[in-house]
Amino acid sequence: MSAGLRYEAASVGYDAPVVSDATFEVRPGEIVGLIGSNGAGKTTLVRAVTGGARIFGGSIGVAGRAVGGYSRLELARLVAVLPQTSPSSFAFTAKQFVEMGRHAHVSRFGDLGPLDHAAVDRALALTDTGSLAHRRVDELSGGDLQRLTLAQALAQEPSVLLLDEPTSHLDLNHRLQVLDVVRSLADAGLAVLAVFHDLDMAARYSDRLVVVSGGGVHTQGSPEQVLTRETLAAVFGVAAVIGRDPVTGTVQVLPVLRSEGAGVAPRGVRVHVVSGSGTGAAIMRRLVLDGFEVSAGALSPDDTDGAVAGALGLHMRDIAPFAAMTAEDEGATHALAAVADVVVAVATPYGPENLGNLRAVAGRAASTVLVGEMTPEMDFSRGEATELWDALSDAGARTCADPRALVRCIEEVLAS
Amino acid sequence: MGRTGNRRAAFVLLLLAGVLVAACVAGAAFGAVPVSAADVFGAVKGALGGAVLTPSQALVMDLRLPRVVLAALVGACLAAAGVLYQALFRNALADPYILGVSSGAGLGAALAFAAGGTGAAALWAPPLAAFAGALATILLVAALATRRGVMETLSLLLAGVAVSYTLAAMTSFVLVVRHEQMSRIVFWMMGGLQGATWQQVWIVGGMLVVGLAVPLVYARELNIMLLGDERAGELGVNVERVKRIILAAASLVVSAAVSVSGLIGFVGLMTPHAARIVLGPDHRLLLPASVISGAIVMVLADLVARVALAPVELPVGIITALAGGPVFVWLLIRSNRGATL
Repeated sequence: MSAGLRYEAASVGYDAPVVSDATFEVRPGEIVGLIGSNGAGKTTLVRAVTGGARIFGGSIGVAGRAVGGYSRLELARLVAVLPQTSPSSFAFTAKQFVEMGRHAHVSRFGDLGPLDHAAVDRALALTDTGSLAHRRVDELSGGDLQRLTLAQALAQEPSVLLLDEPTSHLDLNHRLQVLDVVRSLADAGLAVLAVFHDLDMAARYSDRLVVVSGGGVHTQGSPEQVLTRETLAAVFGVAAVIGRDPVTGTVQVLPVLRSEGAGVAPRGVRVHVVSGSGTGAAIMRRLVLDGFEVSAGALSPDDTDGAVAGALGLHMRDIAPFAAMTAEDEGATHALAAVADVVVAVATPYGPENLGNLRAVAGRAASTVLVGEMTPEMDFSRGEATELWDALSDAGARTCADPRALVRCIEEVLAS
Repeated sequence: MGRTGNRRAAFVLLLLAGVLVAACVAGAAFGAVPVSAADVFGAVKGALGGAVLTPSQALVMDLRLPRVVLAALVGACLAAAGVLYQALFRNALADPYILGVSSGAGLGAALAFAAGGTGAAALWAPPLAAFAGALATILLVAALATRRGVMETLSLLLAGVAVSYTLAAMTSFVLVVRHEQMSRIVFWMMGGLQGATWQQVWIVGGMLVVGLAVPLVYARELNIMLLGDERAGELGVNVERVKRIILAAASLVVSAAVSVSGLIGFVGLMTPHAARIVLGPDHRLLLPASVISGAIVMVLADLVARVALAPVELPVGIITALAGGPVFVWLLIRSNRGATL
């Protein structure tokens, strides 16, 4: 039997089950992140361990025994909680507050002994709250209080730690500090189950993620397995670019727009965007939000524009990363542009790999909007890109200097 | 509490105990016939040694001292109940009088008085009936004030007042029906300590010891429960069990006080609150300190009641209400600005 925390087909809730048939495990030494939309039941799953929510079916086990089989005191020696909310008026000192975490270890008629004081001092040191020890709790900021509440939980010396949005009141520095402390405790053998709202933090600190949605566990696995475009669209209703945190290399989620975010009636107008290196990302998003049907390409998925176009679900010609466009790619792109009512060409570095994108829209100046200015520094095609660009411009393509006025430019082109 | 905390607590409690002894001596010495402090000590010494007492010593032993000690016990009971209710409801405005518990105990005691009886029944029936009334009342008020598991300050006070009025009306009904007992019951109900006997002292004292020892064992839990029921549970406190035990203990001490001295308001509100402001929220010190302070307040209030308009004696409830009413209003205003428990 596992020494950690195990949900076995658990159904939990208050008057009625909120989450049903949840099965997952938190082993010693790992952090499992619970993610999901508001009201999905993440907090309910956590609260059910310590009796804050009811278990309707299945079981939740700690150290190989169902939580219902423990007395309050026994459970408090094994499981500590960092809750979402904290008290606001409470005249004890910070140290007395942390000492309350030792309750389960002190006998009824006894007082705190040397071991207890050592545990309290360790908890204060770990959370960097020793300097607050003699301050009154009700005079502290929300962030200090949250770190003290973590110290109180650590003073319990638990083998399972439950965190309900552990960093909601914290600034960036203390957020990292608290999660780094939790990470090091997990590395030393603590089993941690944490509710996260911030997906990047969840990916950065969790070994595994459990996605709660639709009254049950939607998916679970490593952050890479779980945080996919499909899951984010299904669970959060958000179109997102899945990237990599450039510093930690962990998965990073960049929301592009809400799935139902377009909201506006479709205009029945199709626009083809020629761009690259991130110059077209905001334009594509804007056009989708304004009800245009948008196509793009050809772009590779490692290009920012390619990733955003993918997240937006645009009609697009994909090419392999770092590969040059083939004649076939150019033909397909030409076909995409041919059915568009308007072409938007954005000034961006053009070279042999992507020159085909400009060639694909050549000769249709009357229905083209040029965004930005093609400078010699952008031309890596020995003048060919500049020639194509100038030809469009000379033939009467409309130049839109300000990308924010793009929609008006497109409407003017359509009107003429 | 830490070693310095323990030393401070011992100092505070010794100081309060000294003040209480002085107040008791003063209470026994002053009156229609003044007695010297030396005579008071002499009377106690003589009575303990079984010596024959002088007339003034007999006055002290038979009339003054039982009354003074009973006053101290009643004050202690009310303050203990105040601390416990305030901790349990996390509300600085809770006290046995405002919550209607005193009225519930009063109705129980009035029914016992109305039933009459002699001997042991007459001695024990009022406190036991008061205990039943107090317990039933606090459970009713708490249930009325709870909406979806949350107890609001305002609904708690409103429920207390409403229940209190209803119970007072029922007590009046008992008076009318048993009018031959009326003067005795009315006199008791107004809150007086006349006719105190050593027998009453032993009964109230015994109930206080039980009703105080049990919560003291749970002082650490009471501290933690200020964090809220759910958090206390997470830290290992069996909240429901502690609540039941504390409610029973608080109701026991309230009924002890009410059965001998009628309805005395505000002592249970003022003393714990003042003690909390001075000493902080730690129940390991707050509970005993409030209990001794409550005793001091009652002994002094009873002294004022006896000598202020001598030879006319005022019901002591008038003195505590006169002093306590304004304090309550001040507390209410303060709590609207977010008082700290």
